[in-house]
Amino acid sequence: MSSEEIYKGVILDHARHPRNRGNLEDPDFEAKAYNPLCGDELVLHLRLKQDLIEDCRTLVRGCSICQASASMMSEELKGKSMENAAALSGIFKKVLHQKDSEDSETLENLRPLMNLRSHKSRIKCVSLAWNAFDECVEKFHETTEKTTTPS
Amino acid sequence: MLSEETVVLDQSVSNSSPDSRSPQLDLSQIRNRFPILSREIHGHPLAFLDNASTTQKPDSVIQAMVDFFQQSNSNVSRGVYTLAEEATENYEEARKTVAKLLNAVSEDEVIFTSGTTAAVNLVAQSWASQQLKAGDRILVTEMEHHSNLVPWQQLCKQLGIELDYWTIDREGCLDLEELNQLLSENTKLVAMTAISNVLGSINPVGEVVKRAHSIGAAVFVDAAQAVARMPIDVQKWDCDFLAFSGHKLYGPTGIGVLWVKQEQMQKMSPWQTGGGMISKVDRQESHWASGPAKFEAGTPPVAQAAGLTAAIDFILETGFDSITRHETELTQICLDKLQSETDVEIYGPTSMESRAGVVAFNLRGVHPHDVAQVLNESGIAVRAGHHCTQVLHSKLGLQASVRLSVGVYNTEEEILRLVTSLQHVRDLLK
Ligand SMILES: Cc1ncc(COP(=O)(O)O)c(C=O)c1O
Repeated sequence: MSSEEIYKGVILDHARHPRNRGNLEDPDFEAKAYNPLCGDELVLHLRLKQDLIEDCRTLVRGCSICQASASMMSEELKGKSMENAAALSGIFKKVLHQKDSEDSETLENLRPLMNLRSHKSRIKCVSLAWNAFDECVEKFHETTEKTTTPS
Repeated sequence: MLSEETVVLDQSVSNSSPDSRSPQLDLSQIRNRFPILSREIHGHPLAFLDNASTTQKPDSVIQAMVDFFQQSNSNVSRGVYTLAEEATENYEEARKTVAKLLNAVSEDEVIFTSGTTAAVNLVAQSWASQQLKAGDRILVTEMEHHSNLVPWQQLCKQLGIELDYWTIDREGCLDLEELNQLLSENTKLVAMTAISNVLGSINPVGEVVKRAHSIGAAVFVDAAQAVARMPIDVQKWDCDFLAFSGHKLYGPTGIGVLWVKQEQMQKMSPWQTGGGMISKVDRQESHWASGPAKFEAGTPPVAQAAGLTAAIDFILETGFDSITRHETELTQICLDKLQSETDVEIYGPTSMESRAGVVAFNLRGVHPHDVAQVLNESGIAVRAGHHCTQVLHSKLGLQASVRLSVGVYNTEEEILRLVTSLQHVRDLLK
């Protein structure tokens, strides 16, 4: 896929006008992700209501692909339960790393990013935000385990 | 200590012209010797402008390795049969060729490693870990590659010693006045690069060695960038250690060199032990081989040594005069062109007097990754990222940069194509 095709439409729009950008005052979960290859970094904040993701913000210092992916992720996460969002992350990453696997319907909104699969060097840029989210999921599981385990 | 102050480097470029008396390269003849240059990328001829990262290989280097595998392949120093003798001879020939390249007193000063990184670690563990003690200091520059920085950081932790930084000035150069203040009686080692892999700065190694030696500190020179760009004379510099990688000098990966002054080698104890580095092994005790073999445990990179010999021969036949002249001309054109683009910020020295063929820059408002991706569309290979110099990048207030670095086979057309393609980047992303 050529640069013309990558840097247009949805991706460029998200890169130029990132949704849900910034910090949350008092996030329930925070995670940082870092790409050691290029120094790109990203902070993800989540606020939960029960186990639903009520709000989500990302702050990105990175390339346009990294920025666009974080922005698109934030739209996907909002309103989902942590479990559903975690499942989505799993599917997204699986498909991202398999060149010819079928696009799953759940990935409808993220499909433009799938075109980057052929650019191996950019897969890390696409995954960065989701890595931060996976870390939040781990923290979420830790806290729910704590509160559900009888003391 | 690292200052967090951000330096914005001057963009004006002086018009120093390269020495017109040095012989001109026969560029088409040179290019014909590099098979990879006939490749097309996205329908464009490959413009390989990432030579600071690694260089392409001429036919003679490739052939030398093929010949070795097809004719002489065997292990070294371990057999009496013909092939083993040829392999050993070929390996020791490489040592002599390196000694010639560096003007070493003897080939016994040449230790083969897997590359620059391995050489730095070897000096840290075999020399510095014995010679330095708590309270001592190591001085590095802010422009070091992680390879000549992280091993020293680790050693400092291991021994409880201090790491000091020699800061860069507005042009990305080192100030010798500052050096005088930084060198203390506790400074036992100065580890510095001869040429920055980002700024292209050429550092005053000889002068540093004089000052360091006057207070009893040894000097380690990272010549990874310098080795293919300028003649090196270890006797003239009078440094104590010098390292480079074969793959940055038109030779193969997997082989590098640590040159050590003889008096320092005597103080080194082996880091890695095993076969090939011993003189005698008893049940509980072992005795070491003498000379460089003591630091070359295990089967060495024999085929790569053949490639390295051919690479050094290629460089010496081509001649540093013509190589430097060619690379200086291209870099000057590149600086002039980029400087006239108002949205391009260039880092490093403004004068070619103290700059080699490396140019790091940013296109304002576009992330370096995106720049490199779009340039690739025009067949142009440049690097984007921090180029293993995060301390330098944070000093410059940057996260990343685009870097182009020229080699002996690059052309003016390739530089101009890069500059033109920046417009393509703007069209797509700005
Ligand atoms: C200045 C400098 N030092 C050290 C290195 C490390 O070389 P290698 O990765 O071959 O060990 C490099 C290469 O990237 C370099 O540019």
